Amino acid sequence: MFFLYDLERTITLHPFYFGPHMREYLIHKLLTDVEGTCTGRYYIICVLDAYNISMGKILPGSGLAEFTISYRAVVWRPFKGETVDGVVTAVSKLGFFANVGPLPVFVSTHLIPADVKFDPTSNPPQFSDNEGQVIEKGAHVRLKLVGTRSDVGKMSAIGSIKEDYLGCL
Amino acid sequence: MSSSLRDANLPSDEEDDDDFEEEEEEGHREKRQKRDRIEEDDEDEEDEEDAPRSSSKRDKSRGKSNGANEDDEIEDLEEDDEDDDEEDEDDDEDDDGPRRGHTRRIHNPFIDTMAEVDEDDEDDEDAEDDQEIGDFLAPREEEEILRGAAIDDRYHRELDRRNQVNLAQDAETIAASYRDRYGKQQKHRLGDGSGVTPKRLLLPSVNDPSIWGVKCKPGKEKEAVFAIMKKLQDMKGTRNALNIISVLERGQSMQGFLYVEARRQADVLNACTNIPNVYARSGMILVPVDEMPDLLRVQKRAEITPGTFVRFKRGKYQGDLAQVENVENSGQILRVRAVPRIDYSAKDDSSTIQDASGKRKRLASTIKPPQRLFSEAEAKKYHARDLSPPSYSGGRVSYTYMGDVYEDGYLVKDVRITALQTENVNPKLEEVTRFANSGDGNESLDLQALSQSLKASTDKYAPYQPGDMVEVYAGEQAGMVGKVIRVRADIVSMNVQEGPLRGKDIDVPFKGLRKKFKAGDHVKVMGGSRYRDEVGMVVKIIEDRVTFLSDLSMDEITVFSRDLREASDSGGMGAATGKYDLWDLVQLNATTVACVIKIDRESLKVLDQDGVTRTLLPSQIAAKLPSRRKDAVATDRNGLEILIEDTVKEIAGGENRSGVIQHLHRGYAFIHSKELQGETGGIFVARTNNLATMIAKGGRVASSGPDLSKMPEMSKKPTGNNMPPPVIIRQGGRDRILGQTVHVRQGPYKGLLGIVKDATDTTARVELHSKNKTITLDKTKLGFKEGATGRILSYAEFVQPKKGFGGTPSYSGSGSSTGGSPWSGSRTPAGASGWSGSRTPAGAHGASGGRTPAWAGGNDGGRTPAWASGSKTPAYNDGSRTSDPYRDGSRTSNPYKDGSRTSDPYRGDNDGSRTSYGQTVGSGGRTPAWNPGNRTPYHGPGESAPRESGSAWDSGSKTPARSLTSINDQWNDSYNNNSSTTARTPAAYNATSPEFSGGYSAATPGASGLSAPTPGGLNAPTPAPVSAPTPRANVGPWDAPTPGGPVSAATPGASGGGGGRGGYYDAPTPQTGGYSTAKTPGATWGNDDDDDAPGYN
Repeated sequence: MFFLYDLERTITLHPFYFGPHMREYLIHKLLTDVEGTCTGRYYIICVLDAYNISMGKILPGSGLAEFTISYRAVVWRPFKGETVDGVVTAVSKLGFFANVGPLPVFVSTHLIPADVKFDPTSNPPQFSDNEGQVIEKGAHVRLKLVGTRSDVGKMSAIGSIKEDYLGCL
Repeated sequence: MSSSLRDANLPSDEEDDDDFEEEEEEGHREKRQKRDRIEEDDEDEEDEEDAPRSSSKRDKSRGKSNGANEDDEIEDLEEDDEDDDEEDEDDDEDDDGPRRGHTRRIHNPFIDTMAEVDEDDEDDEDAEDDQEIGDFLAPREEEEILRGAAIDDRYHRELDRRNQVNLAQDAETIAASYRDRYGKQQKHRLGDGSGVTPKRLLLPSVNDPSIWGVKCKPGKEKEAVFAIMKKLQDMKGTRNALNIISVLERGQSMQGFLYVEARRQADVLNACTNIPNVYARSGMILVPVDEMPDLLRVQKRAEITPGTFVRFKRGKYQGDLAQVENVENSGQILRVRAVPRIDYSAKDDSSTIQDASGKRKRLASTIKPPQRLFSEAEAKKYHARDLSPPSYSGGRVSYTYMGDVYEDGYLVKDVRITALQTENVNPKLEEVTRFANSGDGNESLDLQALSQSLKASTDKYAPYQPGDMVEVYAGEQAGMVGKVIRVRADIVSMNVQEGPLRGKDIDVPFKGLRKKFKAGDHVKVMGGSRYRDEVGMVVKIIEDRVTFLSDLSMDEITVFSRDLREASDSGGMGAATGKYDLWDLVQLNATTVACVIKIDRESLKVLDQDGVTRTLLPSQIAAKLPSRRKDAVATDRNGLEILIEDTVKEIAGGENRSGVIQHLHRGYAFIHSKELQGETGGIFVARTNNLATMIAKGGRVASSGPDLSKMPEMSKKPTGNNMPPPVIIRQGGRDRILGQTVHVRQGPYKGLLGIVKDATDTTARVELHSKNKTITLDKTKLGFKEGATGRILSYAEFVQPKKGFGGTPSYSGSGSSTGGSPWSGSRTPAGASGWSGSRTPAGAHGASGGRTPAWAGGNDGGRTPAWASGSKTPAYNDGSRTSDPYRDGSRTSNPYKDGSRTSDPYRGDNDGSRTSYGQTVGSGGRTPAWNPGNRTPYHGPGESAPRESGSAWDSGSKTPARSLTSINDQWNDSYNNNSSTTARTPAAYNATSPEFSGGYSAATPGASGLSAPTPGGLNAPTPAPVSAPTPRANVGPWDAPTPGGPVSAATPGASGGGGGRGGYYDAPTPQTGGYSTAKTPGATWGNDDDDDAPGYN
C-alpha cells in the first residue's frame, strides 16, 4: 500500500560546498540517498518535496556541517494479506519467485493450488494446470502476501495464489 | 440421573415386559429423551455431574466390598457431597409442582428416585453390595410399570399436552424457565470451581489423621507393610489392637520409608515395634498436611503402545533407540526393534574365553560395534553355523543368528520394561530415520508415532512460553485459541483470543495443547529437532506439523509445532556458529577462499573457489575475509570493470548462469543466482574473465553527484602513483645533521624547533625545544638553518650541496672509490671543474646558490610546484642519483641502475600522462614540454617567455615548467638570457651564471652533439640525466666513451639528437614507445637531452 510519509534525514556537507548552492546540493544528495531505498519496513518510492532544511550545524572536529532535512515521500509498504501483482522471476520445483515492484516474493508449492503443478520438462520450467494457466519466468501473477520479512535494508515476502482470483493474469 | 445406569437397565425391562408394557415404556422413553435433550441443551453440566456420580457410586460399592481401600474414604466424602447436590436438585424439581413430582416418582424410577432409594437403602440396611441394590431395584421397577399400565392413557394425554405447551412457548421462555429451575445449582457448582476440582475439598486438613514417615531398610518396604498388616490382623480385637488407620510405602520414589497414618504418634510407634527392618525409634517424620496429597499422588506411567520409542538402559545397546513392536505380558515385557550392533568378525573362541573368565567378558563388551542393519552375507561368512536359514513370514525375512532374531535387518528382542527407558526418550530424527525404511523399502516415517514419543517426553526447555499462541485440540476446550499467560508445571494458563470466551483466562494441561501458527508467520526452531535454529516463514500447517521455508537455504522444513517459536520479524540468523554469516567469504588456506553457503548448528557448508562444496567445522576456517570489500574490482571478459553487486552473466565455460556478484577475489567471482536454488543455495563461482556485465549496480555511469562529505579536489590528489620522494642517500661518516638545530616543517609538530639527537638514513630523532620530548621525524620534514644566511634549508639542501662542492669528505671518498680514474674525476662535478659542478644538480646549485629550479624547488619548502607535487622531480632524483655514480665510480652500471630506479618515476608519469622530466622540472607536470624545454632554448631565442614560445611547439610541452621553476627568478632570467645560447641546457646552466654562459655554452654545443651517444637514449630516461650530464658537462669527448654512447647512438633518438630539432622530436618517440605512452616524447627526449638537461637540473 502506498503512503505519504513525512520523513527526516540527516545529511552532512563538506565545507567546500557551503555557499549559494548549498540547498541544491542537499536536495540532490537527499534524492540520491533516499529514493528507491528500502528501510526494512517500506520502500521509499519518491521524494515529493523537502519542506524543511534545518540550519546546518558544524560538527566539531571535522568541519562538516550537518543538516536535518524533513521531506515528504511516497512510500510503499507491503502488508500481510495484501493482494498484489508481480512478475515471475524464477521458477523452481519448490515454488516460484516473483518481483512485486522492488519486493521479491516467494510462492511455495504449498501455496499454489493443487491443480497447478510443476512441470520440470518444459523449457523454461513452469507451473501449469494444463488449462492455459502457465506460470513461467516473465509471467504476470496476482498473489496475496502471506508474510513479509524485513531485514536491514531489504525485504522479502511469501505469497500465495491458492485463493480465488489469484494466479496468472 | 445417570444415563448409563438408565440405559443399562432398560433392556432388561424390555425382556420381561409384554407389548402393552412396551408401549408404555415407549412413552416413558420419549419423555425422558425429551427431558434429556432439554437438559443437555440447557446445561451440559448436568451430564458432567452425572457421570462421575454414577461412577463414584459404583466405586463406592466396590470399595465397600474391598474393605480396606484408602481411596474409599475419599470417594465417600465425594459421594456425600454429590448426594447433597442431588438432594438439592430433587428439592428443586419437587418444588416445580406436586404433579410433576408425582409423575416422576412413578415414571422415572431410574432417574430421580434412584438416589432416594439409594439413600434409603443406606439408611435402612447396611448396604452390603451392589447386587442387592440391583435386585432391589428391578422388582420395584417392574412393579411400578405394572402399576403404571393402569394409568397409561393419562400419560399419553399428559405427554401430548406438554408437547403442545412446549410448542406454544418460545424457546426463550423455555430457556428462562430452565434457568430459573437450575440456575441456582449452576452457581453453586461454579462456586465449587467446576466439576474437575471438587477433590480439593477432599484434601486433608489438620483435623484429619496425620501421616508419619518411618525409616526402614531400603528394599524391604513392602515386607514391612505386610508385616504390619499381619500384626494388625493378629492384634485385632485384643486389648493391644493397633490404632492405626493405614500403612503404605512408596517404594519407587521414597525408598527406605514407610508411611503410617494414625491419630497419634504413639500408635505409630506401637505398630512398628517388633517389625523387622523398620526403625521407628530412630525417628519419625511427620508429613506436613500440604504434602500428604503429593505422597499419594500416583505417577502415571506413560502408556507404551507399539510404535513408541524407547531406549535401552544397559548392555551393548545402552542408549540406543528402539521401537516397540509389541507389548506382552501385561506390559512387563516389550518386544522391541533396534538397529543391531554386531561384530561379525568376533572370533568364535572369544565366547569360550569369555566363559572361562568373567573379566574377559567385560573387556570384550566394552567395544561397541557400530550400528548396522543385519547382513546375512557377513553373518554367513563368519559364523555360518550360527545362522539359521531365513524364514519368511508376512513379507518379512527373519534370521536367527547367535541366538538373536533379526527381522528385516533389525534386531527383534523381548526386553523387560525395567531394562528400558520409556520416558524422556527424545528420539532424534537421525535415529528415527533408521527405523523409517519399513519392509517395502519405502521411506515412510511414522511421524505420528514419533510425535507420540516426543510428546511423552518432557524437554529441558519449556515447550510453552508466555506469549505463545496456542490452540487446544483435544478435551473439553477443543478449538480454543489463546495466548499463553503463564505456565506452571504442565498446566498452561491461556488468555482466550477467539470465540465466546474471548478475554477469559483458562487453564489447560499440556496434553491436548499445541502451538498455533499461521501461514506467513516467521518462526524459529527451538529444540528437539536437528533443524534447531533454522528460521523461516510458515507455508503450510497440518495439525501439529508445520512446514516452513527456511530463510537461509530456502528449503522447506517440516517440524512439529511444539519445536517452533515465533521469531522476531527481522534478523533471521541463528547459527550457533555465530562468527560466520551466510555468504561470508572465508579464507580456508593461503590459496583457497570459499563462500559460506549454509550454516548448520555445528558446521558450515562452503563453496570454494574451485566450485567444490565442502562441509567444515568453524575451526577449520582460517579467517573471515573482510566482508564485501567494496573496492574490489575486476574486469570481465570484455574488459569492463565489474564490482560487487553487479549483475553478471557467465558467457564462457559455464552454463549461462547469471546472478549478482557477492564477492570478488582475485580472478574469481562468487555469484548468487536466484534461479539456482540447488545445494549451493544459489551461489556459484566463476572466473571473472568468463563473465559479462549485465547490469552495473545502480547504473554506475550515471552515478550520483559529488560526494558532499568530501572536497572534490581531494579525490584528484595523486596518491600512490607519483614518484616517491627522493631518497637521499647519506654518505658514510657521521651524519651531519646530528646536533643541528632544526625546525619541523611538516606534520603535527610543524613550526617547532628542536635539536637532532640521533639519525638514521631517513629519520631523525629530534628533541623539541618547547616540549620536553623527543620525537622521530622523517628527515625530509626538517628544515635546517643555514649558518651564514639563516635561511632554512631542506635536508637535501643541507646535505648535498657540500658534496657538490666537492669539499665534503663524502664526496672525496666517493671519488677515491672510483679509483681516481679520469672518468670518475671528470665526472664528479667536484673533482673536475666548475662545469661538472654545474652539471650535477647539486653542483649546479651550489653554484647558483641552490637556485636551480628543480633542485631548489624540490627541496625548498615546496616553493616550486614540482616540489609540491611531491618533490619527485626526476631532476631531483637525478641529483640524488648522481651521487651514486660518484660513489660507485663505475658509471655505467650506475646509470643503469639508476635507470631502473627511475623507471618508477616514469611509470608515475605515464599515469599522469606526463613525463617524469616534465614533472620534475616543470613541476606542474605539464612538462612533456619541458624536456622540449631543453629545446626551449629554441624558443628562448625567440623570446624570453618560454611559455608563449612553447605554444608554437606544443602547448603542452611548453615550459611552463620553466616558469614554474622560475621560482628562481634569477634562474629564469638567466635562462632567458641564455636564450642566445643555442646550446640548450648547458646554456641554461651557464645562464645561471651569466658570466660564464658565453664561454661555457660554447663548450656545450659539443654536448648537444654528444647527447646522442649518451646512455640516456638507451637507458630509462633517468640514467641519461645522471650520467649524461656529467660527461657532457665535463668534456664532449668523454661522453663518447660512455658505454651508453654506442647504444644510444643506435637509437633514432640519438641520431635525432645530432640532427637537430626535428630530429629530436622524431627521435624521442621510439624511446618513448618503449617507455610508455606517446605523450612523452618530450620526456624521452629529455632523457637524451639530459645531457643537456643538467641545465635544468
